[in-house]
Amino acid sequence: MQYKSTFYLLLPLLFFCCFNAAAQKKFTISGTIRDAATGETLIGASVKIDGPNGKAGTATNGYGFYSLTVAEGTYTVSVSYVSYQLVTKSIQLSKNTSLNVDMKAGNELTAVVVSARDRKDQNVRSPQMGVEQLDMKLLDNLPVLFGEKDVLKTIQLLPGVKSGGEGNTGFFVRGGASDQNLILLDEATVYNSSHLLGFFSTFNADAIKTADLYKGGMPSQYGGRLSSVLDVKMNDGNSKNFSMQGGLGLISSRLKLEGPLIKDKSSFMISARRTYIDLILKAVPDSNIKGNTLNFYDLNAKVNYKFDDKNTIYLSGYFGQDNIGIKDLFTNDWGNTTATLRYNHIFNSRLFSNTSLIYNKYSYSVELLDEVNNFRATSLIRDYNLKQDFQYFSNKHTLRFGAQATHHRIAPSDLAPGSSSSFNPLSIENRYGLESSAYISDEYNVSNRLNLLYGLRTSWFSLHGPGTFSTYNSNGDIATSQTYERGKFVQNYFNLEPRFSASYTINERNSIKASYNRNTQNIHILSNSGSSSPTDQYVMSSNNIRPEIADQVAFGFFKNIKDNAYEFSVETYYKWMQNQIEYKDAARLLANADVESQLLFGSGRAYGLELYAKKRTGKLTGWISYTLSRTERKFAGLNNGSYFPARQDRTHDLAVVGIYKLNKRWTFSGNYIYNTGNAVTYPAGKYEIGGVTSFFYTQRNASRMPYTGRLDLSATLEGKDTGKRFRSSWSFGLYNALNRKNPYSIDFRDVPNDPTRTEAVQTALFGIIPSVTWNFKF
Amino acid sequence: MKSLFYLVVFFIIAVAVTSCEKVIDVKTDTSPSQLVIEGNITNIRQQQTIKISRTVDYTNPNVYPAVRGALVNVKDNAGNSWNFTEETPGVYRSVSILGRPGRTYTLTVNVENNVYTASSTMPAQVRADSITLTDITFGSRTRKLVAVHYTDPKGVPNYYRYILRINGRQTNRVYVYDDRLKDGNLSKNELYPDTEDDDERNELKRGDVAEVEMQNIDKNIFNYWFTLRQQSRGGPGGGTTPGNPPSNINNGALGYFSAHTHQAISITVP
Repeated sequence: MQYKSTFYLLLPLLFFCCFNAAAQKKFTISGTIRDAATGETLIGASVKIDGPNGKAGTATNGYGFYSLTVAEGTYTVSVSYVSYQLVTKSIQLSKNTSLNVDMKAGNELTAVVVSARDRKDQNVRSPQMGVEQLDMKLLDNLPVLFGEKDVLKTIQLLPGVKSGGEGNTGFFVRGGASDQNLILLDEATVYNSSHLLGFFSTFNADAIKTADLYKGGMPSQYGGRLSSVLDVKMNDGNSKNFSMQGGLGLISSRLKLEGPLIKDKSSFMISARRTYIDLILKAVPDSNIKGNTLNFYDLNAKVNYKFDDKNTIYLSGYFGQDNIGIKDLFTNDWGNTTATLRYNHIFNSRLFSNTSLIYNKYSYSVELLDEVNNFRATSLIRDYNLKQDFQYFSNKHTLRFGAQATHHRIAPSDLAPGSSSSFNPLSIENRYGLESSAYISDEYNVSNRLNLLYGLRTSWFSLHGPGTFSTYNSNGDIATSQTYERGKFVQNYFNLEPRFSASYTINERNSIKASYNRNTQNIHILSNSGSSSPTDQYVMSSNNIRPEIADQVAFGFFKNIKDNAYEFSVETYYKWMQNQIEYKDAARLLANADVESQLLFGSGRAYGLELYAKKRTGKLTGWISYTLSRTERKFAGLNNGSYFPARQDRTHDLAVVGIYKLNKRWTFSGNYIYNTGNAVTYPAGKYEIGGVTSFFYTQRNASRMPYTGRLDLSATLEGKDTGKRFRSSWSFGLYNALNRKNPYSIDFRDVPNDPTRTEAVQTALFGIIPSVTWNFKF
Repeated sequence: MKSLFYLVVFFIIAVAVTSCEKVIDVKTDTSPSQLVIEGNITNIRQQQTIKISRTVDYTNPNVYPAVRGALVNVKDNAGNSWNFTEETPGVYRSVSILGRPGRTYTLTVNVENNVYTASSTMPAQVRADSITLTDITFGSRTRKLVAVHYTDPKGVPNYYRYILRINGRQTNRVYVYDDRLKDGNLSKNELYPDTEDDDERNELKRGDVAEVEMQNIDKNIFNYWFTLRQQSRGGPGGGTTPGNPPSNINNGALGYFSAHTHQAISITVP
């Protein structure tokens, strides 16, 4: 019932905005904004139009396109974008006009700016809440582990985003689990975004144009995960000149090539990265070490072809692979593949369309090499995805609507033993699911003060055959089993996801915002280890697993001062989560056809306060982010059925980031992070079983690990500007400069030389780690 | 495969960074003392033992108060009944009972008029053919590994537990295996040492005697030990959230009651 009423509320508004605009005599100015040097489209550039008959402003969409509709007259158009020179043009608007603008990069001394969107007052005016746009240039200057600049590690410095652990790319947004983040690379889902068990991410910063993180108030074009969307877009490739850039680091090297294929029609970008820890291992004389492997590599590639101003296609792809092996024991390989074909069509100056055909796959294999205990186990999840997205720009409305259909196949586990193996061959049935959705949203400029962004997303998930589907009793034994033929529906779930946000501008500098959104999730990761593992299991919603649902409300206050040089925001949120997943005691998740019998279902709640202060311009830039939060879960059968803190419940979370540009050549930066320790379960008592000390536990996750605090420093030295195209730079980094031993895990054991006592032992991963990287470009 | 994952993590840590351990002070809760029952019925002519003790607070020394004066009885499903007598404080024994595979045993313990019961079925015995030693190398460190060889009977679920003793001294690690993926095959169970175990006495050297006690246990007991093993590594923050392993004893007692087979087999390191 509650969906229905929401829908009826939305309906008249949507009609209103479609017809309202057409009633008056107005003209549209539209076009694409590009970088003059590379031809890359600029996403989120600000376009303003001002004249005696009216004024309007907008930001370019994901393909650099903008459209503004105003009354006939003379106007000044101004286009601005971070670290680019302002462009202003006078136009006489007496018919629908096309205006493409190429922008030149600003002079080098313009300091680093920490937010990519240029519309300087965007922070205050936009109704969008809980969104963070990362400036990829910022990454060049921030200190990171082993000097590998990384989108996923940088977003962990933002309010409301918690790190998955030391050196880990996993992250938790506003109390969500790490599998509740939708991670997109050119619209393709990246299921496992980590390399080397989470110490590095799959995103090679060289290949990336923008990365936007939505942690609340999610626009309705996104769906399928509860807590956040990280939307990463690859560079299109330089359409003006051939260029090459790369870097040599301690752990890995990178190389990127890009250039025009057909002048002003087509360009390409290809970017590769490989680690060489194993090459170092090979150099070690010890033959036992020599036989081991430990590496990853990845490849990003993109081509585009512009038929004319109205039709462009893009083809992009990612391929990454990790290989780990211990001589004569085992190997473990895993990787993602994605491919995206997109077609942009501009129907008219107001209607922009994008059609995407997307493929993505994540797979892993584990091989045991023992002569008796040997097998090769493989597993994969594969999606085909078709998406149609329209954007309609009218006077006071930006309408976005479309539909999406995704077909999932999960091959949970195939076990192929060798001929003399003690293992039996095993092939667990594939699972198939179809996820379809339709959405509509409207960004409505109600008045100078009030902006609304509201919409609705429908999500329909159906699990279909072929296959045998079981239900389980409370012991985890099969209660009923039913076989379905190919294409027959096993289970359907339909959900309505209303989304709403509003901003009210008190004056030019201050605004308040509010949002509500509902999200649902039908793909779930099963993992009972603390960190992300390549062998995490994927399951779909089914006859046993209901879709996860989250409702979030958020309020915020936003303030900009000193000509938008400083930004402040306070956001507070409350989130309810249903149908959350945990594991029974002794759960067997791997190679288990009845894995759904091993699960417990419960609910969760998360609430918090996020403070954010950012200095955007000047020699010294940076930000301070602080989050005060609580994240709890409740499951029948755990902790006596009462709420307990989730592992990632960290009360205080602070990040201070500073970047100081000393002169044209030297930039220094540092970040300090502090967070409360993870919620963990410490023993309350102990006893002896089988001659060994065992521990007695009472409250789940009622104790705290010691806090984590870390200072990282880096310095970047730009090469001398010799007037030639070749440019190089050095980056020096110190990770954990204070050499603090941050807790990774805590174990309880008998004191080694005194079995009458027990002790708690803390393991820390990283001490101080220096790094150096040489980057070049020409 | 989970332990494999830990091996991988261990490997990465060993190669890429210098991990470091230190003993820290932690603040733990206290709780009222809990009753702990550990009962074992085996198929060999040894004294069958039920131990009853209590938990102590985490901060106390490892001295566990014995529970004296309990009434302990074991019945089987063939109509036999044995009363156990307290031989030493908290240790209850019966000389006349001898466990038989296939029989279900029910334990009743009465402590100060609180009654605790549990039952366990002794599985059919699977005998080890042999135990062998293999070398295993992590990084630059080579250790000897004890492996147990046997043929798993087809068509029935089997659960195995091993106790490893080196020169008569029991090692701390929990070893449990099942035949979920290996039903009916010639099998080999490797008793991996704890990768973080720096206790030199657990390292096998020439002349050492490794003795393996092989047990066939029932499913509940397997779950008990399996849960305990999942928690014993990685600890809070690293691995599975620890909890009390699922006991087959009712009324809130900790511990277990297991009817299992027994076979001891040993090897001397050459």
